[in-house]
Amino acid sequence: MSWEQVLVSTDWVVKNLKSPNIRFVEVDVDTKAYSESHIPGAVGWDWGTQLCDTVRRDIIPKDKFEQLMSNSGISNSTTAILYGDNNNWFAAWAFWQLKVYGHSDVRLMNGGRKKWIAEGRELVKEIPPYPKASYRAKDPDYSIRAFLSEVTKAVENRAVQLVDVRSPQEFTGEILAPPGLPETCQRGGHIPTAKNIPWSKACNEDGTFKSVEELKKLYAGIGIAGEKPVIAYCRIGERSSHTWFVLKYLLGYQNVKNYDGSWTEWGNLVAAPVEKP
Amino acid sequence: MPRPEDYSERKTELSGWAVNIVTYRLGSTYYTTVENNDPGAWVVKAEGSAKEETEAKALKDAEALLAKIKKSPPPTGCTSVPGY
Repeated sequence: MSWEQVLVSTDWVVKNLKSPNIRFVEVDVDTKAYSESHIPGAVGWDWGTQLCDTVRRDIIPKDKFEQLMSNSGISNSTTAILYGDNNNWFAAWAFWQLKVYGHSDVRLMNGGRKKWIAEGRELVKEIPPYPKASYRAKDPDYSIRAFLSEVTKAVENRAVQLVDVRSPQEFTGEILAPPGLPETCQRGGHIPTAKNIPWSKACNEDGTFKSVEELKKLYAGIGIAGEKPVIAYCRIGERSSHTWFVLKYLLGYQNVKNYDGSWTEWGNLVAAPVEKP
Repeated sequence: MPRPEDYSERKTELSGWAVNIVTYRLGSTYYTTVENNDPGAWVVKAEGSAKEETEAKALKDAEALLAKIKKSPPPTGCTSVPGY
């Protein structure tokens, strides 16, 4: 799969703003950002209420996912372009969930919301009224999702490489969560055997992704070269979606999973092994 | 349709954290976001009618929030993290 099939530039978005078979979706960490302004024609999804199960801790259930896509005017054949703040943290989280449910054509806007604004491009406040579309999700593809049992096995048998994409301060246990973000844990540190490559190392200053050569070199530096299975994790699974996207789609590594339980699961487990230097 | 104008970005340090300050104007409103450089998430946002006033408010709020972050003693001997 080429980069163009999963990643579009802001210029590409401008040229395709009025394409009928394309929907733009903004997904931000700051759930108020969409109402402040957004790309003309974009719909907004709230990760805290619309991209998760609101009762138990889980991704969005299949029936709710179908409703969300339908209400957003997205059919199975629509190209979904996702973007958001924090260099696409939750846009990548949404991308991952669309792939879990088998949406065929989903892409990220390179650089996200910040790049769009930095380039002085048009913004609106109006929420577009799209007619409902018909949407049928596939059964969830868990080949891209890691659960606790799999991570536990990975720690024991070392057949899988774990990459912790949080900041060095979180990895070492100096802090429990990034400033201002409430979801936290009882213990600081990291999962034994994990290596630390913060998600942001994959990005340039303007929020766009680094080149394939740079990315390959970055992950090869901790021994990730696509030969062994990889599980990425962070705190709640959104930053690791970003790294999962890089490894799976930009570098084309086949066996890469996102552990969305992440540190808020592992760091709260009773008697789980924790590495803390 | 309006476009963001007067966009600026600068780096500084607040309460021991390296931060990036992004400000732009949309219509008559200025928006400022303070992001910590690592892990690269926004910390505080503010809006107002003048750039200096909006940035000052965001910086004040961010400084207060960052000062409250509880840190464990810096670890030593971590071979997985450059610099530690």
